[in-house]
Amino acid sequence: MSKVATDEERARFRQVVLPYLTDCYGLARWLTGDRADAEDVVQDACLSALRAINGFAGTNARAWTLTIVRHTAYRWLRKNRSAALVVVEDPEAIQRADADCGADVGNGSAESPEAALIAKTEAARLERAIADLPIPFRETLVLRDVQGLDYREIAQVTGVPIGTVMSRLARARSRLIATLGTDAS
Amino acid sequence: MTTPARQDDTALLIHAYLDGELDPIHVVEMERRLAADPALTAERDRIEALRFAIVERLPRERLPEGLLGRIEHAAGVRRERAHPSWQALAAAVILAAVMASGATWFMLRPGPAQASAELVVASHVRALMAPQPIDVNSSDRHTVKPWFNGRIPQSPQVVDLADKGFPLIGGRIDVIGRNPVPALVYRHRQHLISLVAIPNAGGMSAPDRQVIAGYNVLSWNDDGVTYWAVSDLGIDDLDAFAQAFRPASREQ
Repeated sequence: MSKVATDEERARFRQVVLPYLTDCYGLARWLTGDRADAEDVVQDACLSALRAINGFAGTNARAWTLTIVRHTAYRWLRKNRSAALVVVEDPEAIQRADADCGADVGNGSAESPEAALIAKTEAARLERAIADLPIPFRETLVLRDVQGLDYREIAQVTGVPIGTVMSRLARARSRLIATLGTDAS
Repeated sequence: MTTPARQDDTALLIHAYLDGELDPIHVVEMERRLAADPALTAERDRIEALRFAIVERLPRERLPEGLLGRIEHAAGVRRERAHPSWQALAAAVILAAVMASGATWFMLRPGPAQASAELVVASHVRALMAPQPIDVNSSDRHTVKPWFNGRIPQSPQVVDLADKGFPLIGGRIDVIGRNPVPALVYRHRQHLISLVAIPNAGGMSAPDRQVIAGYNVLSWNDDGVTYWAVSDLGIDDLDAFAQAFRPASREQ
């Protein structure tokens, strides 16, 4: 570290960052896919947050902290798992996926046997299905459905417009529904 | 029939609807479409089932042992006492109430239950005076519960009692003696009910009634949670609410 944090900065760090450590660790684990790696990421992210603490504008501590964790996790992934980050978001694929969403809505049957099946999904299968999502979908779904952020906060953390948050979330959920709505056996 | 563009739109908006992210006008529009379109209703059921599975089945990630200590050490921040327990919270509630009310009040009306009740009523009144009495605006318990999950250590049992005449309209976080606690908001006719849930040491007790500043207050214990229901409803209606909530919350 180039400079030593002042007492005031440390106090602010305690107040702003440490309350969200569990959220930080959860996001890091879903991004890296590994508990030990997640610990390293969270520790690095916390030190970055301490250095940057004076830049916190005081509006949303959790979103600010998670943004730093996400940056740190991406840096870690680039270094260690560059393959995981190769997600081609070509516009045609997006259109196809959206069309699929639309088709589901248009053609779904009124009784929804998949809904009952999905609601009964075992933890391990659910965890695997989420872990298999491409990273932009996975992080959006985790921030929303696991960590309970609202769309605006997710847009802030992931650095994309709200419209993109909405389409990523819809596609993440559609993929999970497609995977979990069919019988495992 | 919808055009393809509208279909795409609906496919996105149904998620925003379920996440409590739509403004009231679009909510009404979506509810109209849901009523008219069984396929859309089926899609809603699938999304709700997925969110239910994520909230109920996925194990909550816990902070690994020692990580906090390592970070505090690396960041050079002194280690202080761990998060306050709920017993400490209860003590803080009492202390805050005693300090806020002064010794005279304390001598006249002793008892922690009274102290908490005053604070709960104050939160209810403050919420009624705010532009909207709820932070998360949704009648869907699968939206309300995860909203709490991200914000407070322990999210409350969330049940919808619309079929009993008490529809859930949302939730908010109250601050009781410096500690955030979950409050669910229900409606009965034109009246709002705030239901505050504070984890306690355990045990069960029958509802206890009181009237504070013209508001009826009912409190009871269930499965390690003390509930406080506050409303300007008549006491009979509030009793009916408690009778509807208690069995429903135990089934969860």
